[in-house]
Amino acid sequence: MNKGRASALAGAAVALGLQATPTFAQDQELTLCWAAWDPANALTELSKDFTAKSGIKMNFEFVPWTSFADRFLNELNSGGELCDLLIGDSQWLGGSATYGHYVKLNDFFAQEGISMDDFLPATVEAYSTWPKGSTEYWALPAMGDALGWVYRKDWFARPELQQAFKEKYGYDLAPPATWDQLKDVATFFQGREIDGKTVYGAAIYTERGSEGITMGVTEALYPWGFQYQDPEQPYQMDGYVNSPDAVAALEFYKALFECCTPPGHTDAYMTTNLDAYRSGQVAMQMNWFAFFPGIAKDDQVGGDRSGFFVNPKAKIEASALGGQGISVVSYSDNQDLALEYIKWFAEPEVQKKWWALGGYSCHKAVLEDPNFPNTAPFAADFLRAMSGVKDFWQEPTYAELLQAMQKRTHDFVVADQGTAQEALDKLVQDWTQVFEDDGKI
Amino acid sequence: MDLETTMPGPVDGRSGQGRAMPSDDARVAYSGAESRRGASATARPIARHRGLTDRSIAWLCIAPTLLLLLAINIFPLLWTVYLSFTDYRANRPGVPIEWVGTRNYERLLASEDVWGYLQATAHFVCWSIALQVILGFGLALLINRQFKGHATWTTLILLPMMLSPAVVGTFWTYLFQPQAGIFNYMVNFFIGAGDFTMIGDVNLAPWAIVLVDTWMWTPYVMLICLAGLRSIPQYIYEAAEVDRASAWRQFWSITVPMVLPFLMLAVMFRAIENFKMFDLVVELTSGGPGSVTELASINLKREAFEKWRTGYSSAFAVILFVTVFGAANIYVKLLNRMKQR
Repeated sequence: MNKGRASALAGAAVALGLQATPTFAQDQELTLCWAAWDPANALTELSKDFTAKSGIKMNFEFVPWTSFADRFLNELNSGGELCDLLIGDSQWLGGSATYGHYVKLNDFFAQEGISMDDFLPATVEAYSTWPKGSTEYWALPAMGDALGWVYRKDWFARPELQQAFKEKYGYDLAPPATWDQLKDVATFFQGREIDGKTVYGAAIYTERGSEGITMGVTEALYPWGFQYQDPEQPYQMDGYVNSPDAVAALEFYKALFECCTPPGHTDAYMTTNLDAYRSGQVAMQMNWFAFFPGIAKDDQVGGDRSGFFVNPKAKIEASALGGQGISVVSYSDNQDLALEYIKWFAEPEVQKKWWALGGYSCHKAVLEDPNFPNTAPFAADFLRAMSGVKDFWQEPTYAELLQAMQKRTHDFVVADQGTAQEALDKLVQDWTQVFEDDGKI
Repeated sequence: MDLETTMPGPVDGRSGQGRAMPSDDARVAYSGAESRRGASATARPIARHRGLTDRSIAWLCIAPTLLLLLAINIFPLLWTVYLSFTDYRANRPGVPIEWVGTRNYERLLASEDVWGYLQATAHFVCWSIALQVILGFGLALLINRQFKGHATWTTLILLPMMLSPAVVGTFWTYLFQPQAGIFNYMVNFFIGAGDFTMIGDVNLAPWAIVLVDTWMWTPYVMLICLAGLRSIPQYIYEAAEVDRASAWRQFWSITVPMVLPFLMLAVMFRAIENFKMFDLVVELTSGGPGSVTELASINLKREAFEKWRTGYSSAFAVILFVTVFGAANIYVKLLNRMKQR
């Protein structure tokens, strides 16, 4: 080998070697799986800070809500390695913990000094623990959420509408505080001409395929004091799930569907409600708080044109829980890197930025800041809602329990088959069989 | 070495090409003649071909396909039958599988809901096929007249069946939209039906899925009928005209009987396809409102891949398989009998 050639090769080797160090950091990658919605965009933005700090590249796998559970539960059940980190629904915790899909985080939290006391207790209970009531943690609370309401503030403020409403119902047109008021307001707007266009009362959840109508119906059931089981005797559901109050709540939801929704609103979930509201079709919509930052900034209905309110009360004040925790998938080859991400995500400063970008932090450093209620028009309502949230079953058999409720409630509310009592009695039978098959009864 | 027993084939390499195996007697005589020639040196290379009969070669050729079929069809089928007698759930790795006997079948057959799904399926299959046969045959008769521009019309008519069922389902949801959908607009334009929702109404939704499937697959039936019509020799019609048979009589005595085997084939294909219909209906209605359009295949998917009741859904799959397989066999026998007439 001649001298020139040797030195050229040596130079190339040095150059490659110099490149190799930063390239190695860049080669480290993590894939985070979640639903495709507004907060996911905020998380993508937030994660750029993590990449800048750690050199770990972040990939994202976002799937629309309607196929979110199908897609990622199949991934977990098949031991798939697609996701290193998964922001999964709270109801998946039971199954994912029981069947080993998630990495248990207690040791990691203890080692890194991450305290669950720094997060809102309701979110820790809902998004992190299994079994319920234990201190076994399978996720870090990532995205607090509850089901709330949005209304057309500009329509509500119109003097002629205020006057007409007061004449008809005897009280001021304002964001409803009770379900009776909600129905009054929805009825008032149903079919009304506003700016030359026919509008409707409210867009509520009626979707059949995934979880839509269950979330909508439970938003009515919880304020009527709904309980899934006898508090003293687990899995004893008769007399609770089909109690007179539960029947009344289900009948009320059906009445609201029949009186006050837009024509053809028979298979509606998040996006359909958003579309109906943004297009100026409805005066109110039921939707997750996660969408509220987007609505507040919307060109057509944002700013002063929209207001927000917490789920109205009936007997008590309560809301359906949404939101998720972030977990490390046990089939991932990058568990160490994934844990590094969780450690970074738990930092108070990161949580503050998360909220500022449009994510719903569950960290006390954010939520207990005295200025928090003033940071967004829906912030105070979010805090209020989170103090009274209730979640669906989180059992390993949650999917069966959910599908049974989807069928029974859609059969009654939308398809008008049978009575509310029959629907809930059948639901008790379905759920009893699920728990019997699972060996819980 | 006894050449009479070890030399199976012809000695001459050229003569063995593409020729049937000689009979044992012929082989003995042939090898005897060879031994008389004392050509023992040629025996060794020929012995290497021992056992490769035509039948062996045939088996060798089809063996990979057979193995593939066994692996991806027969084994899963038998495995499904086995699972249908267990409480197996595919989302519970490591949990022992328990034999539950006929419990899954008993639950299925005793369930009012399951009978409801089967009724919805029967309604969908029967009505969609009836409409597709009538319209498809009618269109084929029209296209067969070979009027000016018939080729362009044929292409246009065939377009729907070239689309993806999921796409068709999705865009029909827009057409059926009660406020802005063109379907509702047209219905109201002609008959003034007022506000109605095709896919949200319990009474209309089963007909909505029939309508969309008919729109999509009538061209397929038309195509098969057209093939049948074009296979009828012209001289039969000429002979009928000589016998002064009316057009009506020609239609019932020549056209219909001769197209019938094609039509029955189309019915069988469509029945099998519609019995397992999934994507189009899921996109249109998700099985709703309530469960009025929840076809058997939709429920099967929910049981198997949403609830993860693998044993139970296997039993349902076996019931559906036996139903379709049995019906298809009876139908094929009828078809063959018709062809023999």
